[in-house]
Amino acid sequence: MATLQSTAPPDTDDAPRPPVVRRKRTVVQRLRHDWPLLLLALPVVAHLMVFHYWPSAWNIIAFMDYSPYRPFWENPFVGFAWFARVFNDPYFAPALLNTLKFSVLNLLFMFPLSIVLALAMNSIISLKVRSTFQSVVYLPHFFSWVLVVTVFVQVLGADGLVSNWIMGSGGERLNFTSNPDTFLLLVWMQWAWKDAGWGMIIFLAALASINPSLYEAAASDGAGRWRRMWHITLPGIRPVIILLLILQIGGILTVGFEQYQLQRQAVGYQATEVLDTYVYYQSIIGNQGESFGTAAGLFKGVIGLILILVSNNIAHRLGEQGIYQKS
Amino acid sequence: MATPSESAPFKRRSLFKVAGLGAAGAAGLPLAACAGIESDGGSTQESEGFDFLPDHEEWPLPVQPDLVGEPPHHPSAFTSYPDPAQAVTDLPSGTGTYEITVPCWGAAPAQDDPYFATLADSWGGTVLKLRQGDGMTYGDTAVQWIKADEYGDGIALFNWMTGSFGNFRETVVNSFYDLSEIVEGDIADRWPLLAAIPSAAWGQAVFSKDPDDPETAGIYGIPMNYSGGQGNGILARTDLLEAEGLAMPTTVEELLEVCRAWSDDANGRWAFAGLDWFLGQWFGLGGIDGWNWDPEQKKMINNIELPEFTELMEFRRTLWDEKLIHPDAPTGTLDAAAMQMAGQVMFTQDNLVRWNDYNLLVKKGEAEGAVAPLPPLAAKGRTPIVPVSAGIGGWTFLNKGLSKEQVEEILDVANWTAAPYGTTEWELLNYGVEGTHFEMDADGNPAYTAVGSEVVQNPVNLKAFACQVDTFLTGDPDMVAARFEYNASIKEYFVEPPFQGIRIEAPAEAKAAGTTLWDQQQDVAYGRAELSSIPEMVETYMKNGGEVAREYYTEAYKNVYGDE
Repeated sequence: MATLQSTAPPDTDDAPRPPVVRRKRTVVQRLRHDWPLLLLALPVVAHLMVFHYWPSAWNIIAFMDYSPYRPFWENPFVGFAWFARVFNDPYFAPALLNTLKFSVLNLLFMFPLSIVLALAMNSIISLKVRSTFQSVVYLPHFFSWVLVVTVFVQVLGADGLVSNWIMGSGGERLNFTSNPDTFLLLVWMQWAWKDAGWGMIIFLAALASINPSLYEAAASDGAGRWRRMWHITLPGIRPVIILLLILQIGGILTVGFEQYQLQRQAVGYQATEVLDTYVYYQSIIGNQGESFGTAAGLFKGVIGLILILVSNNIAHRLGEQGIYQKS
Repeated sequence: MATPSESAPFKRRSLFKVAGLGAAGAAGLPLAACAGIESDGGSTQESEGFDFLPDHEEWPLPVQPDLVGEPPHHPSAFTSYPDPAQAVTDLPSGTGTYEITVPCWGAAPAQDDPYFATLADSWGGTVLKLRQGDGMTYGDTAVQWIKADEYGDGIALFNWMTGSFGNFRETVVNSFYDLSEIVEGDIADRWPLLAAIPSAAWGQAVFSKDPDDPETAGIYGIPMNYSGGQGNGILARTDLLEAEGLAMPTTVEELLEVCRAWSDDANGRWAFAGLDWFLGQWFGLGGIDGWNWDPEQKKMINNIELPEFTELMEFRRTLWDEKLIHPDAPTGTLDAAAMQMAGQVMFTQDNLVRWNDYNLLVKKGEAEGAVAPLPPLAAKGRTPIVPVSAGIGGWTFLNKGLSKEQVEEILDVANWTAAPYGTTEWELLNYGVEGTHFEMDADGNPAYTAVGSEVVQNPVNLKAFACQVDTFLTGDPDMVAARFEYNASIKEYFVEPPFQGIRIEAPAEAKAAGTTLWDQQQDVAYGRAELSSIPEMVETYMKNGGEVAREYYTEAYKNVYGDE
């Protein structure tokens, strides 16, 4: 028998509950409630304030004719005069180009190397082999650049191990560590030895988060090693790759300092000058002063910020999370 | 090279001229390239004609030198060690503890060594704790220490370190204690030794707050030793030359032949491990910061504009191309002294102090062979030149945050350290404690012990704290005689660059261009750029700061010497 069901709400004894109105808590109440969290955040906020935001405020001296020996308010504003001097300096553009050259090299040949290393390590089953491999590739990261450059000079220098062996075999002296033409290759080799292992750590963490049952299911469906990597592994770590790529692009004008400064005499300034060494040699060694160096540094920071925002925006358009979730 | 034929006496009137120029430079007008930027101009500071210097009062030397030279460029010498006499008999009673920053090349000595405690007891109790900074990077780092006021109560700066500062005058007058009021006039009662040091030394410790106003000048530092002569040289392993039947070269061409004859790249033997900063004089290139007056053009000309500069670069390039210099020389990290000691390189560019030190090591059996400096050389039959400047070695500056009483206490110590050779003060400061840091040898001369070498001989410590009343060649009698003879043999080639007695600082723009110019010279010397790039290098330098410097030095020269 068909029955008609009423659409009216059932009668109940309970009166409808009024919406919960939470009384607004005062600041004091909120502080009393959240103080453990605030206390935990305090060191980080203090660190940011002291070492990041407060120094950032001093970027204003890029627009002043600043001298540390007069009261701050007596330093006259000179607009963009220091920027004009930086951009008109004939050595600025070559330093910028060199920086971009090293950055692109890093993006193309170092970034993927860390991924490849992570994949290789992830495929090692033996724990013993894996931990040995891990130690071997991590360890150089903890060496200082002084040590790395010294090791390279001792091994590949003109009077180094390899060179003397070649000469002993009747060959010519090796000219590698002081040759501007091969400096890019030298830099890449030093990066690869020092930092490729360290760079794979985050990728390894991302790999660990992939559900192993996906691999089992794919294997039982007949997917080979390469197919599993292409369809499971790489998509699984894609958000991390995109995140690191964006951060890397943001730091495209920051390629380091010591590595280039240490090899500047040997290879010459034309091959080694990057923005950071340029700022050092012009403002500290060349005595152009704090305002000059700050102007060059601010230029670098602004470009980095723009690049981060642009690449993050592109990531969002491609459906990726980027460095923060789009609301 | 144009050198003023006589040093024009500095009158108060010329002081105003120079001061006016200093103001123009400091204002950066019309020299600064960018409108609005005024803080990077140069400065000019004279050192004579002040009425606030300490009154000079002779202090009779306890002993007279054995060999009398022509100081300051050819100093007198002692070939025997005298019985030292006490110079400061009326000891002050100091209770303060102060920290002084000093440069140190090599390992820093332990501060708890009895040397330091004995020193403090001997000068009256004041404790000077030393903050030893790495000598290799000291000049550049000192800039930051001073800006951050992190150098303690005082800092020693050698005058060749002033190039690290954007504007040294501005740094000095804003950071350090103005001693004028304390040391002005008659100070012989309390500080007889400081009153006896040359007035020229005190004059070189004068800096002006406002280069346009001579009334703002003051004494801002304790001067270091006043001396002259040739400080650096090229040291050759004479025993290795003799072993190959090679003679000490007397011309640049002969030097090149010796380099070719001795070097053997395949077997790890090179004439040089580095040669860059000394050799300008071999090609007649001297001047003040590379600038010389050209009476015909009535302007300053830089060495790099002269054909001799190209000759110099050709010489450097030849060393590289023909493998006469170590293949890792471009790294700038080779220990040339150690390589020379090991017989891997023949010549080193060095301070002549190493001539003395090396041969003393040989005497002690810790090294082999012998080294000696090359005589003055010249190329293409020219007459050699040896540029010399009489002046102080630097300053000990005191923190402006000290009280007057504290400064006076430190000056008590400075007075003690100003005691000359032949005094017990000098002996303790320079040799340490007998039996611990030195022993008397059979000839009655002090010889450092191993601890003495480590704690007293090698580090600078407080040996440069203040100018001594007089300075001499002292030490090992054989070496003293050799150094005296060498100085006598080169004095006919001495030339004094312009601006003697005047401290002149180029505008910052010129200093920055100079940094790049140096890099470019290294490129040519080490085969990374061609010799044909020299004209372009010169043009770039002139365009980016060189012309500013030329204008600055030319105006300064005209103000001091006129335009003849």
